[in-house]
Amino acid sequence: MTSQAVRLFRKMDGLFAVYKPQGVHWKHVRDSIESNLLKALNSCPPPAPQLAVQFQLLSGGENSSSKDVVLSPSMVPTLADHPLVTGPQFHKVHVGVGHRLDAFSSGVLVLGVGKGNGVLEHLCKSHVTRDYTLEGEFGKATDNFTHTGRVIEKTTYDHVTLDKLERVLAMIQGANQKALIMYSQVDLHTQEAYELAVRGLLYPHGKSPPILTGLRCIHFNPPHFTLEVQCVNETQKYLRKLIHEVGLELRTSAVCSGVRRTRDGPFKVENALTRQHWTAGSIIQAIAHFSKATRKIRKSEMYKQTAGQLNSNAQVQEQTRSQTEQINQQHVELSSSTSDTVVDRETPVTLSEGRTKH
Amino acid sequence: MALVSLRSCGRRGFHLGLSAYVTRPVGTPRKREQQDDTPVFQYVGQHRKPQGKVFVWGYTGALGIPSFVVPDSGRKKPRKYQLTPYHLDTEQKISSAACGYGFTLLASNSRDLTKLWGMGLKKDSQLGFQRTQHDRYKSYDYVLEASPVSLPLVNPQETRVLQVSCGRAHSLVLTDSEGVFSMGNNAYGQRGRKIVEDEVYRFVLQQYKSSVACGQDHSLFLTDRGSVNACGWGADGQTGLGYHNKASCPVPVGGDLAGVKVQQVATYGDCSLAVSTDGHVFGWGNSEYLQLASVTEATQISSPRLLALRGVGRGRQAACGVTQVAVLNEEGEVFVWGFGILGRGPKLSESAIPERLPATFFGRSESNPTVKVSSIRCGLNHFAAITDRGELFVWGKNMRGCLGIGKHDQYFPWRVTVPGHVTDVARGVDHMVALVRSII
Repeated sequence: MTSQAVRLFRKMDGLFAVYKPQGVHWKHVRDSIESNLLKALNSCPPPAPQLAVQFQLLSGGENSSSKDVVLSPSMVPTLADHPLVTGPQFHKVHVGVGHRLDAFSSGVLVLGVGKGNGVLEHLCKSHVTRDYTLEGEFGKATDNFTHTGRVIEKTTYDHVTLDKLERVLAMIQGANQKALIMYSQVDLHTQEAYELAVRGLLYPHGKSPPILTGLRCIHFNPPHFTLEVQCVNETQKYLRKLIHEVGLELRTSAVCSGVRRTRDGPFKVENALTRQHWTAGSIIQAIAHFSKATRKIRKSEMYKQTAGQLNSNAQVQEQTRSQTEQINQQHVELSSSTSDTVVDRETPVTLSEGRTKH
Repeated sequence: MALVSLRSCGRRGFHLGLSAYVTRPVGTPRKREQQDDTPVFQYVGQHRKPQGKVFVWGYTGALGIPSFVVPDSGRKKPRKYQLTPYHLDTEQKISSAACGYGFTLLASNSRDLTKLWGMGLKKDSQLGFQRTQHDRYKSYDYVLEASPVSLPLVNPQETRVLQVSCGRAHSLVLTDSEGVFSMGNNAYGQRGRKIVEDEVYRFVLQQYKSSVACGQDHSLFLTDRGSVNACGWGADGQTGLGYHNKASCPVPVGGDLAGVKVQQVATYGDCSLAVSTDGHVFGWGNSEYLQLASVTEATQISSPRLLALRGVGRGRQAACGVTQVAVLNEEGEVFVWGFGILGRGPKLSESAIPERLPATFFGRSESNPTVKVSSIRCGLNHFAAITDRGELFVWGKNMRGCLGIGKHDQYFPWRVTVPGHVTDVARGVDHMVALVRSII
């Protein structure tokens, strides 16, 4: 008979998403989740104590005459499994973190518990896209690209209109779309590469710089504006730098006042647990909710491993791309605003290609 | 004293020293004592309009940047190819550009005295006549920098240059009120003048010309009434006049084009195409590479024939290369056929029927479903397409870096990264000129 604590522990295997508040280091989030889980596990009622037969010298009682001590067996609890003797049953739960979020950012943070940590590694290796909402403010430039940094320069921004901003975003997307194909590690002079490119299945493979697969402006109220970004392989500092570069392209300066991750692969912000729900019960519910997605990630990685040995690079590309699409499919839905902005793939990095010394 | 020296070593040093001892929770703003004193810079005024720029790439002799060929500093080396777009500084806004075989002509739409600049080879005076420093009667063989080309205009301060076009060794300049000027080689009568000697010569034709197109050694003129005149080398029938001799004066082209209103003519090598106002495509000239195989199996046609192109729909623009042709239809789709790198992968190197290029290459995706191609050009062995979003896509054989994307050939359309919206592109043998409008 397994104890309630062990049964509870066995349920803690899988991936779930947590909403990390701004200003908190991701390690503290992970630590508090782990301590909450341990608290729940260790506060389960302990199993009934084991009894052992012990021969004790007891007084005879009514049967024999008084003052006669008889050896009689009785069941006595052993102290070997008493919690005060052994200590708490669980002192470690393996909680791993997926794609990290730095302290300035907030949003979806994927954590894995127990056996889910292995799947977490596969999630990191697969090139799933992530959605961010970036808040920007025109008019100043700081040393760390955020509104809390030291101001380096202030500029005017009355010439900036939504039309100009959208043109700059479209240009950034065009450059990123090129990078998407360039880092796909497929020889572009082959017919297979052409077939993949027609179907839009060329995707970065292996190491690549941060690439934006989608970019659009969802709110514009000078000096404040909000961008929605879909990207792969990025860091939050890169996204803050993106805001700064958008400002430079518009001949003004911009700082980032908020980075919020709204999706990480199939994990959306609506299903992320907020602070009140960082308890074992809610976590286990969330793990059950995401079990389908977790299974898909595990399956796609297994396919990649077997396929890599057999097929050519291009075919692996095609299969893994369609797998990643399926993983992403569960959530891909840009917010429903009716903006017509073209949001394609683009990298700010390659804008310098056509630059000259002016 | 100590405080002064601390300040003088820079705010950064002071700041670094401070942060080693003080840690601050993330998100709290720093003290803003000096916030209000920071000056506000204005880089761009409120009413700034986008500017026109010129970007060039390809073989450096014809680009008009002397420091590529003759380095101006000891550390630089001469460069043969400019593989990515390079900004060319021009005095005025350039409205029309054309690339020939080793030379370039830039024209601006202004009323100033200098309307035309040329650079590159001018052995055949295709860029007009520029007196050398040493001899008044000799001209340079090549010019490394964009030099003004003087036109013998009657009203130089009123006439505007509308379009320029360059062939192998001749150029045509179309003005709004003074007809067409031609310069350069006239060995085959391509300049529309009796074959005598080569110098700048002007002729006025009866009907107003709306556009000109130069082939390798022949010229086509489109009048505003929609009729096409041709002159020059005709051995492949590219003049479309029904015979294979040279024509030294512009002669109206007949055949299937008689009575048809043409909206655009295109030619580059020895094959010519025309698109009528109702969307039909006519072709004549060389057909060795199956350019006109839809109507004939002969290798040349000397008079225009209507091309029955299935699946193309109403044509809007046509472009000819030497071995391949392309047509753009009203929906913004590109059809290619001929021989060479056509844009559908390395396997498709020859096609007699028009093949459509998938729109996904030009940026069409589920987030932008309405991207269309707005104009198409063809160089010697490559194509260039401009979408309505202002992006330039190139594909084909990369001769000396003419595609602007590096060194290798490109088998499907690929974006050229240019900082701005591309409005027009002029293609040549081994170099290209793009007219770009800045974003801001």
